[in-house]
Amino acid sequence: MSIGSPPRPPRRSARVIAWVALCVSTMLAASEVLAQNPLPPDRAFRFSAKLIAPRTVEARFSIAEGYYLYRDKIRFTAEPAVLSVPSLPNGAVKDDPFFGHVETYRGAVVVNLALTDAKPGQQIVIAAESQGCADLGICYPPTVQRVTIPIPEASVVPGVEEPAKKSWFD
Amino acid sequence: MFVIAGALALAAGIGLALWDRRTPDARDLLALSLPDTQGASQALSQWRGKVLLVNFWATWCGPCREEMPEFVKAQRELGPKGLQVVGIAIDQPEKVSQFATELKLNYPALIASYETMDVAKPLGDSLLGLPFTVVLDRQGNVAHTQLGPMKPAQLRTIVGKLL
Repeated sequence: MSIGSPPRPPRRSARVIAWVALCVSTMLAASEVLAQNPLPPDRAFRFSAKLIAPRTVEARFSIAEGYYLYRDKIRFTAEPAVLSVPSLPNGAVKDDPFFGHVETYRGAVVVNLALTDAKPGQQIVIAAESQGCADLGICYPPTVQRVTIPIPEASVVPGVEEPAKKSWFD
Repeated sequence: MFVIAGALALAAGIGLALWDRRTPDARDLLALSLPDTQGASQALSQWRGKVLLVNFWATWCGPCREEMPEFVKAQRELGPKGLQVVGIAIDQPEKVSQFATELKLNYPALIASYETMDVAKPLGDSLLGLPFTVVLDRQGNVAHTQLGPMKPAQLRTIVGKLL
């Protein structure tokens, strides 16, 4: 290519791809708006979990705007490990005419779970059960979401195996 | 060219949404036989010939409980004209019984599991959300399905046309 030649126009195939993408996205948007579909529960109450310390898993529900979770319907289990679940944070209190005192979460809920017998190199599956509703007047069935957490080898993250306690005076 | 492509895509989207709302079939729903709060099995087919309003609900579903007084009223006022409301609760029988007494429920409350709710999926409740309501005409054809509470006026209009 000689210096000073005009820039080449975008290739025809690239333009076609752009057109198709535009058409498909418009179609989906139109269909979504007409149907006014509520979010599926795993998107309304998105669960995530990560290891933040050798034996501590941070579990999080990110709750979409207009949706809420019931505090007393949240359960965590781990396989193959034992979880110690602390008491969940307080939610917004609602006086339910049938159930009385009910607590709900909006926005996000974060809980630190303690793994008591996870071994280095293991794949731990954290299962989170939850149940919630949408402000548009729909309640979802209890839903279980799972996240797999790899426990690093002891050599990678010191402290997964408890190091022997040393005194400063040794 | 952009405008034409956009319009075509929009039309296709609307078509897709309408196609998705094609008239569903209530045969699986009408074939259900479920226990009531006393444990007696009740076949939904026993109400054939009536305008049937089937409401999936649960005591743990606030929006469900809030709309139910309207169903009680509709059953009282329109029952003599041929409306039959049937509640299918995805719940424990004791809770349903307690709530039915509190509300003075005047229509059957049947008990079901989430597996039973699979019949609601092809009727438009793919997420198994509650409340979900299906209105059938006297021939058992689906006249209306709704995820989420029904507005009282809407309920009267839909059922009124079928009675």
